[in-house]
Amino acid sequence: MKEELNTENKSTPKILAVGGGKGGAGKSVFSTIMAFWLARIGHRTVLMDVDLGGANLHTLLGIKSPDRTLNDFITRKFGELEDICIDTSEKNLRLISGASDVLSLANPHFSQKIKLMTHLSRLDADYVVLDLGAGTSFNVLDFFLVAHKKLIVLTPEPTSIQNAYIFVRNAVYRKLSRLSSKNPSLQALIKIAMDPKNVLKIRTIKELFQFIEESDKTNIIEVLKKEIGDMHLGVVTNKVRNEKEENAGRIVQIVAEKYLTIPSTDLGCVSYDSHINTMVSDMIPLTNLDQSSQAYGNVYEIANKLSRD
Amino acid sequence: MNDRIDRQDSVVNRIIDGSITIDSVEEFEDLLKAFPNDPRLHRVFADRLLEDNSINAAEEYKTSAKLFIEAGLPLQAITCKIFEWRIIKPSREEGLAFHSALCECSPQNIEVQKFFTKLAYEEMTALMEKIMPHNYPANTMLKKFGDEENELCFVVSGALEETNYHRLEADEKVQKKSTINLIESDIFGGIYPFCEDKLSESDIESITCVELLKISKLKLTALYGEHPDLNRLMQDLCKSHSESNRERYSKTVRKAIRHQLPMQVNLKIFQEESGKPPLNLSGFTDDISLGGTCVILGAKYQTGDITHLTGKNVKIQLCLPIESISLNILGSIVWSKEIPVEGKKTAIVGIQFKEVNPVDREILKGYCCGSEAEQNLIWGLWSSLMEK
Repeated sequence: MKEELNTENKSTPKILAVGGGKGGAGKSVFSTIMAFWLARIGHRTVLMDVDLGGANLHTLLGIKSPDRTLNDFITRKFGELEDICIDTSEKNLRLISGASDVLSLANPHFSQKIKLMTHLSRLDADYVVLDLGAGTSFNVLDFFLVAHKKLIVLTPEPTSIQNAYIFVRNAVYRKLSRLSSKNPSLQALIKIAMDPKNVLKIRTIKELFQFIEESDKTNIIEVLKKEIGDMHLGVVTNKVRNEKEENAGRIVQIVAEKYLTIPSTDLGCVSYDSHINTMVSDMIPLTNLDQSSQAYGNVYEIANKLSRD
Repeated sequence: MNDRIDRQDSVVNRIIDGSITIDSVEEFEDLLKAFPNDPRLHRVFADRLLEDNSINAAEEYKTSAKLFIEAGLPLQAITCKIFEWRIIKPSREEGLAFHSALCECSPQNIEVQKFFTKLAYEEMTALMEKIMPHNYPANTMLKKFGDEENELCFVVSGALEETNYHRLEADEKVQKKSTINLIESDIFGGIYPFCEDKLSESDIESITCVELLKISKLKLTALYGEHPDLNRLMQDLCKSHSESNRERYSKTVRKAIRHQLPMQVNLKIFQEESGKPPLNLSGFTDDISLGGTCVILGAKYQTGDITHLTGKNVKIQLCLPIESISLNILGSIVWSKEIPVEGKKTAIVGIQFKEVNPVDREILKGYCCGSEAEQNLIWGLWSSLMEK
């Protein structure tokens, strides 16, 4: 399936963010295999570990101790993200390793975060795959929101489904909050809407939009609707063992559409593969996985789908 | 699940699931002062004391058993009593008192729990002598398709996955039929009809660390000879359990969810000495529930002896993803420890919330779980798309 390097000259890379709330859903494994396939398809790809609270992506590529990390960029040892990209054994695939200085970087300063985000678009690549950490902190959500493609990875477990939905929900509120940052009355309204038992009886984003439309005479509502509507999600159900489990992503899609007014695409499922667990625990690079693996094939389909968009 | 257990602090959950270990007996005792009524915490402490060959383990098992009965969990109570009575043999009066407490217990509406409250005293003690506790780590294959069905297992704690198969007559190959999860208070082991030699139709693998009470078919045969009613009770249990299993699963996991939602936290820790300014620290939540949170302290906190933080009152500012929203909660640090994170020592504190104003509580609930309607839709879809 290896294809020639794509020589098409692109000015800025497409940024794909992989999030999902819960640890253990397989975000890092999925990100790694997807970046591998994007590279194999011929796209110059950078895989970036944005799990600022627990960076470990390098181990999935068999790199024990990366000599350059995000830490070096944030502390200005290197001026460009390009300088901290590490070549991998895979042609077209480079890695930006996450910072190991967990405590200082899990919550970087605003300026550091902005610097990071600005420099993302300067990378000499066709695709940048951001592997986000667990949870819904400001930083995880901001990196998710900055991406051109927003991917949610979940497993067919109740906790994972709920956490994935909560991740999306908090991302929507974060986005609304940022859009209304210069409008204190709107900010206050969003705070009220976050209380599920609020006195205004606003229970969904749809109802919030209706309320704003009726009470605000500016055209802010059109901006909000467009921005939230453009937050198109791609949903991936990981570690699937049977047909029924393929429905897990559908649950998040239905609830997100109904309550958050967010459209989404079911990007597909990735089969459970016990070999992947073994490779991760034995620190064998995931790029070495037997390519007849069903999971590998599933991620190839997803990568192919994304690169055609 | 009993409210008492539902509301337990996230720190306690992490100790119970083994993701945080407590090194010293003193640390445990301090923690138990903060959570005196948590049966599982007492159980973990009792196990720890037993590892140290401490005679005090018996007393902890006794306390844990009592609290499990109060929580409507006789299976877990009986497991504690088995350990307690292995250390100190009970008098007949003590045995009768436990049996009486068991019979008076209001078990949760689960067949396995009800079963233990129906046993006569002699049946209970005979069963407790023969049944054996076993612990297994996560990802252990406990039974394979085709293995002989020769024992009955009660799940005391943890979760397992059962994958059922169809046997194809023509070429003996098997085809996967369904996968279900087994959790606390489930049973497995297809030993009925008792007179037949049966082979397993499923694989059973642990998902988390699990504790089981196991009894072999051979031992059951001996027991049924002396206690024929026990056979009837056990048969009824096995039959009714399989029918009620699925419905209960979704309800139980819904309640057991813990939220891994890291968010920034600012702490103002009040010093006991008057005139001393409060200590201002920041960090991020490792996990959070409505009852409390685990906070990983930021770089500003120099690691070292952090035990002095335990017991201190704290004002917590939780910064939600909405720029203008932060929740202010009063609590106390019930536990502090250094744990390795990514190979580095990191200070972590467990905080129990004491005062949360109703609006902040609802916002926190919404942040962690979504609204009631959103949750209902998620769980409704789970039932219709994933279970049927």
